[in-house]
Amino acid sequence: MALVLHSGAGNKNAFKALIAAEYCGVKVDLVKDFQMGVSNKTPQFLKMNPLGKVPVLETPDGAIFESNAIARHVTKLKADNPLYGSSLIEYSRIEQWMDFAATEIDAGLARWLYPRLGFGIPFNAAMEEFAINYFKRSLGALNTHLANNTYLVGQSVTLADIVMTCNLYMGFSSIMTKAFTSEFPHVERYFWTMVNQPNFKKVIGEVKQAEAVPAVQSQKKAPAKEQAKPKEAKPKEVKKEAPPKAAEAEEEEAPKPKPKNPLDLLPPSKMILDEWKRLYSNTKTNFREVAIKGFWDMYDPEGYSLWFCEYKYNEENTVSFVTMNKVGGFLQRMDLARKYAFGKMLVIGENPPFKVKGLWLFRGQEIPQFVIDECYDMELYEWTKVDISDEVQKERVNAMIEDQEPFEGEPLLDAKCFK
Amino acid sequence: MALVLYTNVGNTNASKALITAEYSGVKIELAKDFQLEVSNYTPEFLKMSPIGMVPVLETPDGAIFDSNTIARYVAKLKADNPLYGSSLIEYAHIEQWMDFSSTEIEAGLGRWIYTARFGFGRTSFNALMCEFATKVLKISLDALNAHLANNTYLVGRSVTLADIVMTCDLCWGYSCIMTKAFTSEFPHVERYFWTMVNLPNVKKVIGEVKQVEFASAVQSQMKAPAKEQANPKEMKPKEVK
Repeated sequence: MALVLHSGAGNKNAFKALIAAEYCGVKVDLVKDFQMGVSNKTPQFLKMNPLGKVPVLETPDGAIFESNAIARHVTKLKADNPLYGSSLIEYSRIEQWMDFAATEIDAGLARWLYPRLGFGIPFNAAMEEFAINYFKRSLGALNTHLANNTYLVGQSVTLADIVMTCNLYMGFSSIMTKAFTSEFPHVERYFWTMVNQPNFKKVIGEVKQAEAVPAVQSQKKAPAKEQAKPKEAKPKEVKKEAPPKAAEAEEEEAPKPKPKNPLDLLPPSKMILDEWKRLYSNTKTNFREVAIKGFWDMYDPEGYSLWFCEYKYNEENTVSFVTMNKVGGFLQRMDLARKYAFGKMLVIGENPPFKVKGLWLFRGQEIPQFVIDECYDMELYEWTKVDISDEVQKERVNAMIEDQEPFEGEPLLDAKCFK
Repeated sequence: MALVLYTNVGNTNASKALITAEYSGVKIELAKDFQLEVSNYTPEFLKMSPIGMVPVLETPDGAIFDSNTIARYVAKLKADNPLYGSSLIEYAHIEQWMDFSSTEIEAGLGRWIYTARFGFGRTSFNALMCEFATKVLKISLDALNAHLANNTYLVGRSVTLADIVMTCDLCWGYSCIMTKAFTSEFPHVERYFWTMVNLPNVKKVIGEVKQVEFASAVQSQMKAPAKEQANPKEMKPKEVK
């Protein structure tokens, strides 16, 4: 009875079935010459799995997809298999941890890892923070359970351990550094023990823990229906949660060299941003006469533009330190623009709700597109270009640069400078 | 042997176990006075279910969490339960579709509902996330639709555990976020779903199912992001009975 597993090499979802097979004495052959992105798109393959996802197990009675289901099937081929526990409650606990491995560990890791690899939804800092916090909670629960248990269920390896280890493997090898996992010592103990068990080691091989979190990569552009493929260089499993847009390792477009910032290609300006920033910082007295005057002397309206911004949701600003933190976060996220921008953000008012208003100097005549794309705070503000021929607007610029109080009739709670 | 199920009323994840119990002739009691987001964070509850996942089944041999697992346990209480198919390959296919329901349908709906309901601040990221979520969900529903074009049930010729799980997961979607305009693209899924929810053992547990009428009904329920990490499972809305 030949069982054929359709999968590329190094696919952690395929490992599950292969390790189970080692424990059960079942022979599972890996299909030859499987090419991710090609072999799983043929009509014959799609008959086996309409989603075109990998792995798929071909059996004499038909094909099965979903890696956990495949592992279960292989396990059931051996009657009274210890991998399935020795009682109804043990069986249930095994299923319980298998599902936990899928919905909490696998899904949690995918939410964190894939945006960084450019698959699925684009990388977003707020989303990543949420994903990591949520994932830590799941890992914490696993850690607590493993504090008192060598194996997930009972006193020996079960199918739950095989599935969990394979899912953890994706995390350990691609994104969880030692600094991260050291918060979960029982998970560490468990993982390293498991991957060194002979039947595991035979299938997975040597495991090397990620040394750094992968840098955020640009979105992989590919036809919408394409599924993820494991890269040949580092074994990555196929996304179970959502089919991302990806390019196969061989056919992959060469990593795009970081494009030159379009602002560097503008005609040179007589205004040197750093000189303004130095003047601003070093002027301690006679600010108006020295710094403000100096600003307008060096200002180049063709090479630079001035913008007022106003937070759109000031009614939210009911707690002072929360409001100030919000502005602080915005300025942190603007770090990518430091070479091309100067900004002042004012938090105004004696009582809540506080108003957040700002003044920004940008290189170029428009708000730089890369800033709008990368800094999600930008769309929380209303942006208006300053008309410097209007004396009222010009004076407002001055007032914001020098933190004038009262500002538009109100005291300032805080003033932050981006330079 | 009293089995006690801890859940809020109308939780479609709990329905999986309850429907399975109807088919299998197993008696399950509902725990009294269970309050979602309160009862599932007590120390006693967290001992049973470490991240407060609901539902939880208390059995004489200990507690189990995770809705699909509970349904499996209940099914196994009856020897040779037809819900589990009558051959090894049928069993494998049942598990396959159960996993598909979890990783594709439930997860896909969760991504969508969670973003629409709670969002990540008022940024255009929400719109992007919703778009991504619906796109991925449609791919999954397409695959399910194709399978159901030629199959009345997911596996074999009668209701199995896969149908119970899939129906409950779909029910969550139908009642919260998938309008008729959305589901009409998947006619075989529609046929399947409405047939399933009208089966006596299913109807007894879920009751009348009302499909959500406007997507904006979901938008208007948008509230500020919860302080605790919201788990789409825990945040399962009070289902229409």
